[in-house]
Amino acid sequence: MVVGFDQVSKTYGNVRAVDGLSLRLHPGETVALLGPNGAGKSTTLDLLLGLKQADTGTVSVFGLSPREAIVAGRVGAMLQSGGLMDEVTVAELVKLACQLHPKPYKVTDVLARAGISQIADRKVNKLSGGQSQRVRFALATAGDSDLIVLDEPTTGMDVSARQAFWATMREQADQGRTVLFATHYLEEADAIADRVLVLHRGRLLADGTAAEIKAKAGARRISFDLEGEIDEAPLRALPFLTAATVSKSGSAAGSGQTVRMQSSDADATVHALYGLGLYPRNLEVAGLGLEQAFVAITEAEEAKEATQS
Amino acid sequence: MNALIKLELARALRNRKFLFFSVIYPSIIFLLVASQGGTGATVDNSGLSVAAYVMVSMASFGALTAVLMGNSERIAKERESGWVRQLRLTTLPGRGYVLAKTASAAVVSLPSIVVVFLVAASVKHVRLDAWQWFALTGAIWAGSLVFAALGVAIGYLASGDAVRPITMITYFGLSILGGLWWPSSSFPTWLQDIAKWLPTHAYAALGRAIEQSQAPKAQDIAILVVFFALFVGGAAWLYRKDTLKA
Repeated sequence: MVVGFDQVSKTYGNVRAVDGLSLRLHPGETVALLGPNGAGKSTTLDLLLGLKQADTGTVSVFGLSPREAIVAGRVGAMLQSGGLMDEVTVAELVKLACQLHPKPYKVTDVLARAGISQIADRKVNKLSGGQSQRVRFALATAGDSDLIVLDEPTTGMDVSARQAFWATMREQADQGRTVLFATHYLEEADAIADRVLVLHRGRLLADGTAAEIKAKAGARRISFDLEGEIDEAPLRALPFLTAATVSKSGSAAGSGQTVRMQSSDADATVHALYGLGLYPRNLEVAGLGLEQAFVAITEAEEAKEATQS
Repeated sequence: MNALIKLELARALRNRKFLFFSVIYPSIIFLLVASQGGTGATVDNSGLSVAAYVMVSMASFGALTAVLMGNSERIAKERESGWVRQLRLTTLPGRGYVLAKTASAAVVSLPSIVVVFLVAASVKHVRLDAWQWFALTGAIWAGSLVFAALGVAIGYLASGDAVRPITMITYFGLSILGGLWWPSSSFPTWLQDIAKWLPTHAYAALGRAIEQSQAPKAQDIAILVVFFALFVGGAAWLYRKDTLKA
């Protein structure tokens, strides 16, 4: 077991940032940690890295305490708020990280892998946001660590930089490392992670592959166009709907409208749609994206909490 | 930890503004102040010439500048930027960061002491025995650790915009009231009563005792030891508080 959280809680004043969290990470997994702002992602990572101490419960990393695991060189981490030492060059800083790691790589290799060889002589305080992120990544991968932890690693990067970044990240995972990253770009989690953890108010709401999370949200998207004026009431009354919107489409005909709906049983909904005697055009039925699944899951949880209280 | 000390040092030596204020500036003030007194004049019955008296003041002042400014502002800034947190994810031991900062500040403070001595000996013809030069350098250098600890404490106490004014007030307050700029004997009596309890006053008195070939006064050593314990204790307490909070 790489990481074990056992009934871990952390409270700030009245806020329960992490609430009885239990989870296990296994060797070689690439795991995404998702959650809305304030869900407890950063606190969870801080507890995992020993930057914060749990109020109750235990956190172990490779069977050791977080600090012991770091001293043993088994963990490399990149923090969202990880400032850098200024007035030194990129190469000097990476060299420091290598010197501090018990199982270091060669500085030139670390620079090359992070894609910052060209800016090695530049001062750290003269870098763009995306370049700084790459330097932080280099610090996290300066040695042969078994677990790499990344908190919002692609913040401040443009799309192509993000893609390049994940390509380097995948290399790390392919070498058998466990990678844990927090992100709010859900397409990243969808594309990269073997496993997705959805955190909400400090609790684990869902844990599975991206496909399983989408299935858990239980809904599919249905969209079609209708000609002429539409009576919305029977559409909204279709069975198994979780959401429905009717909007004017920009089609050349001018009078057409697009209807989008989400259904927990798309087959039954479409069947009932034809039963209304309508002639839907351009009918599409598709699975939810991870993002919509994520919203559906967290909204369902909030609704549940609202009825309980 | 040696790796961090080396990098801190390389950075300090690259920072011209910092080097100017800690290494060159004390010598300039020395020349300005020492030139005011006549060659034969002595300061408040100490038997020391103005040049010899001011030399110790300015060497102490230079060392104080290097260690206090070097520590406080950098630590506060790097705490805020998150660099301190990032370092906690390395094998560097918890105290390693503070020790590396202090060690690199101490390396810069040594030339600031020696440069004042060189200028005093060559331009103002201050003459002392060889053992006195060595003892002076050692005493002023070792004594600067008191203020390095103070710098660490301020760095962990203040944050962001507050650290500079707090450092400046402490720095000028201790320098002026401790008699590093003007002899404290020129102060009104009530101020002298305060000044003699300040660590900077005891610090300079230590150097002057060596110039007079006397043993340092027990009171001065006691004051320095007490302040050192106070500053180290405060710094350690603030450091632990910051670590739990981060």
